[in-house]
Amino acid sequence: MNKIFKNKDDKISSPVNLLSSHLLAIEGMQKSEIESLLDRANYFANLDRHSDTKKLSGYVVLNVFFENSTRTRVSFELAARRLGAEVINISLINSSIKKGESLLDTASTLNAMRPDLLIVRHPHSGAPRLFADYLNCSIINAGDGRHEHPTQALLDALTIQRRIGHLEGLKISICGDIANSRVARSNIHLLNIMGAEVRCVAPSTLMPLNLEKLGVKCFNDMREGVKDADVVMLLRLQNERMSGTENPSEREYFKFFGLDEAKLSLASSNAVIMHPGPMNRGVEIASALADDTNRSLIKTQVEMGVAVRMSIIEALIHTKTNDLKEQK
Amino acid sequence: MTYTIFKSINVLNPATNFNEKSNVVIRNNKIISISKKFNSETITGNNPITIYDCKGLTMSPGLMDMRVNIGKTENLEITQKIALKNGITSIVILPNQTPKLNNPSIIDHIHRQSENIILPRVNAYGAATKDDAGLEMSELGLMSEMGAVGFTNGNKSIRNSLVMRRLMSYSKMINRPIIQHAEDEDLSGISQASTTSIRGEMNEGEISTRLGLIGIPSCAEVIIVERDIRLAELTGVHYHVAHVSTREAINVIRRAKKKGIRITCDTAPPYFLLNENALLNYDTSFKISPPLRTEDDRIAVIEGIQDGTIDVIASDHRARSKDTKIQPFSAASIGAAGIETLFLLTLELVHKRLIDLKKAISLISFNPSKVLKIKEPTLEQNEDATFIIFDDSVNNTINQKDLMFSPTPFDGRNVKGKILATFIQGNASHVDPILKQRLLNEF
Repeated sequence: MNKIFKNKDDKISSPVNLLSSHLLAIEGMQKSEIESLLDRANYFANLDRHSDTKKLSGYVVLNVFFENSTRTRVSFELAARRLGAEVINISLINSSIKKGESLLDTASTLNAMRPDLLIVRHPHSGAPRLFADYLNCSIINAGDGRHEHPTQALLDALTIQRRIGHLEGLKISICGDIANSRVARSNIHLLNIMGAEVRCVAPSTLMPLNLEKLGVKCFNDMREGVKDADVVMLLRLQNERMSGTENPSEREYFKFFGLDEAKLSLASSNAVIMHPGPMNRGVEIASALADDTNRSLIKTQVEMGVAVRMSIIEALIHTKTNDLKEQK
Repeated sequence: MTYTIFKSINVLNPATNFNEKSNVVIRNNKIISISKKFNSETITGNNPITIYDCKGLTMSPGLMDMRVNIGKTENLEITQKIALKNGITSIVILPNQTPKLNNPSIIDHIHRQSENIILPRVNAYGAATKDDAGLEMSELGLMSEMGAVGFTNGNKSIRNSLVMRRLMSYSKMINRPIIQHAEDEDLSGISQASTTSIRGEMNEGEISTRLGLIGIPSCAEVIIVERDIRLAELTGVHYHVAHVSTREAINVIRRAKKKGIRITCDTAPPYFLLNENALLNYDTSFKISPPLRTEDDRIAVIEGIQDGTIDVIASDHRARSKDTKIQPFSAASIGAAGIETLFLLTLELVHKRLIDLKKAISLISFNPSKVLKIKEPTLEQNEDATFIIFDDSVNNTINQKDLMFSPTPFDGRNVKGKILATFIQGNASHVDPILKQRLLNEF
């Protein structure tokens, strides 16, 4: 599997150096940074998990989640632990926010405890950037509102690369609730940077205005949108971010925008299916397809999540440490 | 009796179209002469005389800001004092403060509270409806008797068409304008029915799509303007659209004016100097309502100013505490301070050669007083000595740290111009040290 990665072994055996000490968004990242992170993540994915180096022992990572999450939080936690870092999980959905403390006060209180890395998930677009502007530790955006979810896009890219061998030139259809999806935005930017052809399929009520200016082709007809696609990426309907007038019903959604055998048959014969989870079976995807291990990469995505996050946590701590050395 | 003489000053009076280098003499609280040649006969007796050499400076009527929000943390007197330093001698405050300006006694109270003669005059709009839901008409007539200059729901749109019709009809009867914040609240996702997760936050378009913020379509403005114009036609009221921000709305207003409908409108500096690209870093000092629009809309606002479709520039001052702005964009408060930058930013249109100085001053002095039928002193003989003196070409920079109110969306901007003095009824209410250096003589 390793042969598909361009870089030599010596390169992937050391941490990646990034341009920024934060990972806030894919938009604005360099292609070489993404390539290096994926190479390094691939190295971690292949590593026997009992032989982890624990190089980050003594470092502290705070998982600060202002929004519910299971898979992303656990994935980050596992990644940090496999690198040897201490992890503290903080769920702030119901605590200080309700006491009236401002977001920045909460954040700077946490910052005062001198963590090395803050992993932030927040329901408001741009919130992690606010943390990065005012705090002095590295920030990873673990999903902010409708804006970006950069680690998801990286793990999706790793999943595709490991299955198909490359990203460049692939036809990738992102289908579903584009308007409310941070996963879609991060994937659009990343796949564009890596030279894939990106298409977006959504009902017109869930297709954000001027999306084509982000460099994608937009489709309201899923059959057209998935035609000859190499990857069909589905998104969850984010009912919590809707007003009730976006979509008439789940069964109508499934009829036109749910992935079933008939629609998938229009894609490339080797097409693979992806979904960032959690998925609504029978709404976004026919249940049988989700479980078809030949075509569905949904479980691989989850597995790759840990490897990708290891590569990012390591890179940010490495980058920050290097920056500090240079300042001295 | 005291005399003050301003020698060789460029006198600019939009009301009479006067624009000449003159010598101006004031005695006590009145202007007693504006003449090319200095006439010493105007000065009689052995009285104290102050003489300023005003070469290169301009004198104009005091400025009027027809759109000022007084927030929870501000007090009216401080706002008046700051306005004064910035050349503003008359402000009109919006009704959505606490308590709401929705009954005659509060309007009366505001007027009594702000009677101090050396500070800018304060007028107030009455709240058009008693309640936030916008369904019950306030006592427009009684408020009008107490001096309310017009009726509006401030930063909320008057939403219900029947209520709007009634308000217009009643306002027409008592000869007061209706001022509208034109925004279809359902469309922009800010109606009471909408949950916080779908609340409109910025202009809808490529930038909102990139940032993952909820867009407010630009047609949310014109939809209300078009509806209201129909009702204004029906009722004959004077209808005024506040802070217009879109090309479409300006086009519609232009057509209505041609048709002879009684319609006027204003805009604010952010809408002719900035566009939505300013939001790319989620900077909450640009979170204002209506939202910053596209570059095409910005150009349309300038065209509207140039051809007279837009009558007035107002600051739309809505100061916000830092605490409510250092927040994720969605959670941050809406509004920006403006009273301290109204003059400088309006002057930018002159320096960019988009309008001339007389027009610029007119937009922030004579025009608003005409729109609201508020009698303000003009620069003429025997008028009250209420005026400002400014240098329109000195280099200047807007710095948040030098300002009383925050946030300014223009922090760090290089501008030209400076207010050097504000006189209110002969009182040198504000005199900048630079002008004091030009003092020639004092007896």
